[in-house]
Amino acid sequence: MGSYDLVDVEVTHESADDILDSLSGDGAEEDHLQTIQAVRLQAGQPDSELRSLKELDENSVKLLEHQVDAAYRALFEMDGKALLADEVGLGKTIEVGMILKEMHFRETDESVLILTPAQLAKQWQAELREKFGLNFVCNYDDEFEDFDAHDYIIASIDTAKSERHRQTVLNRDWDVLVLDEAHYVKNEETDRYDLIDRLSYNYAFFLTATPIQNELTDLYNVVSLLRPGLFGTRDVFHQYFVNSNQETLVNRDELQDRLNKVMIRNRREDTDIDFTDRTIDTRTFNPTPKERELYQAVSDYVKGAYSQDQGQKLVLMLLQKEVVSSPVALKKTIEKRLYDQSELTHADELESILDLIDEIDTVTKQERLLDIVEEARDNVEMGRVIVFTQFRATQQDILDRLAAEGYTVHAFHGGHSSSEKELIIEDFEEEGGVLVSTDSMSEGRNLQFCNMLVNLDLPWNPMRVEQRIGRVHRIGQKRDVFIFNMALKDTVEEYVLERLYHKIDLFQQSVGELSSILSRLEESGTSFEDQIFDRLVNADSEVDLENDFEAMAVDLQEQRELADKLEQFNNGVFEGFDLGEGDD
Amino acid sequence: MTDEALAVTQSLVEDFAERYLESLGGTIEKRGDTWEVTIPDNNDTELPAGSLSLLSDAGRDKDSAGEPLHPESEFFQRILREAAERRPTGKIPIEADRDDVAIPQWIKEGDVEVSEIQFTPYYDRTAIVVLFEVSIETVSEYQQELLRAIAIDHRSEQRLPALEETFLQMTSIPTNSSPTTTELSLSRSDARSLLGTAQDQLMQSIQNEIDEVHNEASRAADAEVEEYRQLQQQRIQELEEERSKLSSKIDELSEAINSSDQNDRVEALKKRKEAKAEYEEVDSELRTLHERRDQGFPQKQEEIRKRHALDIRVTPLTVTQVEYERGELDIELVEQGVSRTVTLGYGSGIGTTDTVQCSSCDSVLSVDNPLKTVKGSLQCRACSSSNE
Repeated sequence: MGSYDLVDVEVTHESADDILDSLSGDGAEEDHLQTIQAVRLQAGQPDSELRSLKELDENSVKLLEHQVDAAYRALFEMDGKALLADEVGLGKTIEVGMILKEMHFRETDESVLILTPAQLAKQWQAELREKFGLNFVCNYDDEFEDFDAHDYIIASIDTAKSERHRQTVLNRDWDVLVLDEAHYVKNEETDRYDLIDRLSYNYAFFLTATPIQNELTDLYNVVSLLRPGLFGTRDVFHQYFVNSNQETLVNRDELQDRLNKVMIRNRREDTDIDFTDRTIDTRTFNPTPKERELYQAVSDYVKGAYSQDQGQKLVLMLLQKEVVSSPVALKKTIEKRLYDQSELTHADELESILDLIDEIDTVTKQERLLDIVEEARDNVEMGRVIVFTQFRATQQDILDRLAAEGYTVHAFHGGHSSSEKELIIEDFEEEGGVLVSTDSMSEGRNLQFCNMLVNLDLPWNPMRVEQRIGRVHRIGQKRDVFIFNMALKDTVEEYVLERLYHKIDLFQQSVGELSSILSRLEESGTSFEDQIFDRLVNADSEVDLENDFEAMAVDLQEQRELADKLEQFNNGVFEGFDLGEGDD
Repeated sequence: MTDEALAVTQSLVEDFAERYLESLGGTIEKRGDTWEVTIPDNNDTELPAGSLSLLSDAGRDKDSAGEPLHPESEFFQRILREAAERRPTGKIPIEADRDDVAIPQWIKEGDVEVSEIQFTPYYDRTAIVVLFEVSIETVSEYQQELLRAIAIDHRSEQRLPALEETFLQMTSIPTNSSPTTTELSLSRSDARSLLGTAQDQLMQSIQNEIDEVHNEASRAADAEVEEYRQLQQQRIQELEEERSKLSSKIDELSEAINSSDQNDRVEALKKRKEAKAEYEEVDSELRTLHERRDQGFPQKQEEIRKRHALDIRVTPLTVTQVEYERGELDIELVEQGVSRTVTLGYGSGIGTTDTVQCSSCDSVLSVDNPLKTVKGSLQCRACSSSNE
């Protein structure tokens, strides 16, 4: 690419009159040296140093060298417009967290908009709050009003581009724009691309592990949104950097030079991330006849009630999840509906479910949990096990039972204050035993000192599962990790576990891989939980249900394979490129 | 950030603040991280007279009351702004330090020992050093801010790069021997003329940076022109299709006119008239577009290029008159009992002003090809090694 000479250069020499006037001025002459120094100090600002680093709590976030380096380069060498394209699982969210923290420290972040796929929005919110102390409003929060009502917003990109909000988003001048999974804007004919193209912002950080989705010009599109003109025209990019069969890049040195101005890509092999092994032990148990009867009654009720009134979806979903968690959890919810909310339409059915609950004397999962905890007592340091459940009632029931059996127990749930939570974790570390936790644990606590985890029940949202595992299996874990999954045979839990989660190898996914699968799935429009529930209530027969789950599994697997392929393809394209840590 | 800028560290902040406050006649009493400062009435400052507590960086997280003092603190920014405007002109003398004569690199790197060195100043010379702020801006690139020092000799109007270096060293923080500055003694017209020369030299020295931004901007403008051209080409295609459709429609209607009865004919005639008008409109837009395309969309190109133009703003911030001495430097070189004295033009702050050639090959002695021997005559390393 030859040099261009298409634009004018206009030079303005500012007048020196003011300076020359001071020739005859009075004043202490030695002050001149200070003036020179002040001028040189002024030019030295802003100093390029991550000043907020020391404010971070080391217990909440462990920063890796490549992450600090990426944040530094994005801020100071790329002037706040960067494509963070690390390979999957290297912590791009952390890099953005550091960048935002630094900008907050320097007060250059009056308004920040983070756009993510819908399923990742809450995760972003939790990470930024727990790890960096940055408080964002998410468009799924009750307090969210609109895009002009808050200064720090995390929103799904589809909400932002919706007719209702689009104009409000565009009317504002944002200081910072963060775009997660940026490859979804690579097509310039989509509403998403159009939104980003029209947004007004000073600084922008785009994240993706796979900047190239279909063809190499995707890279042109994403980069051109950040730095228009860096590659010249689309045609020039094509002619100069892409060979005719579209599969490889040519003139790679020059391309690397250009990309280096805007893109950072760290490779796993160049970082010091080293995860220990993870062993998954999934145990499915035959429920007792009474339990089976209860499960069937609840499932029938849920199906019938939903067909009559779809507005009750959330509570019905809750019942369906509770029936496999514990009878007590189910009982509490039903009683609440019957007595507090005066549920009249289905009172008889609910009353009969309560009778079935009362008839249960053996809770299979509880009994089997004792086996696992016993194994832990013999094999794991200080018998430390974390048992996760989604429900407080289940948690209490288990705690009572374990305590009665003579185990040291600790309870952790969202009702504790921050300092209480701190204390509980300390006690667990010192005393050992069993920590029974609800999913409120999933936010920001690190428990690397424990390496055994039990999923007593399973969230229908794979991100939640990943978060649970992420508490123990993270950077800093020195031992192999054991995960136990518990499920009752022929229940929704078994379907979710066996057909879905195992298909995408959820329990073996490294951090971050899941995000790319889920955000691909999200293209279909419905959430994972909704998909499960819809299948459950709409199936006409057992066979139908199995087929439906099978279809969902195939879809998931396809997405996973596509995600893997893309990752490999991008790795191939950038093979040999040095876009990672700086030289110094 | 450029070479001339000083990296703003906490220790520099504290050093500068202390000297600045003292230069205003203020007193500072340090108690740990807290400075108790008293500022007297002083016309030179807008800082309020009276007492003030300053809290240095280390005390930042504590609850102690006081004005914070760190690189981004409001107080530091305030004194920096004030100091930067306080005295933009002045004079600095560079006295020849007999013990610290700069020996030329071609001797330092060579194999011959220096036994004695003697600088004899003959006359005082004057130069000015100007600190320029340069901002380079264009729509597609980030604004670049440069701070550059340019030194110009008063008499010869030559640029003195070595003096620029000396000046920057002398005005760094902390300086071991802070120079004493006095009032500038150049006349306004002399200063103005030298400033003009410095501006010219500055533009030459930053040409590479300008070229780089210029290339990027041109590329971005080109991309925009190309996009516009493609858009117009697309529009041309659409219009051509529309015109062709209209043309067929007119043909069809003409046929209908010939073959239908009175009522239909009137209707068809009406429609054909409308279609023809539409055709004319499309055709006219197409002709204009074709014409503009054939000329290469000059107006749009002009508009785009104007928008991408580089705006370079050069602002002189300080003008310093530097007094230095020029004279001769006698360097006695010794090699295995043979001694030889070399005399070179020399200036304090600017180093040697003469070059020396190898007596065998006439090439100029340099850091890459230094002096190898003085036996017989001055010989460079290349010649001596080829003789061996």
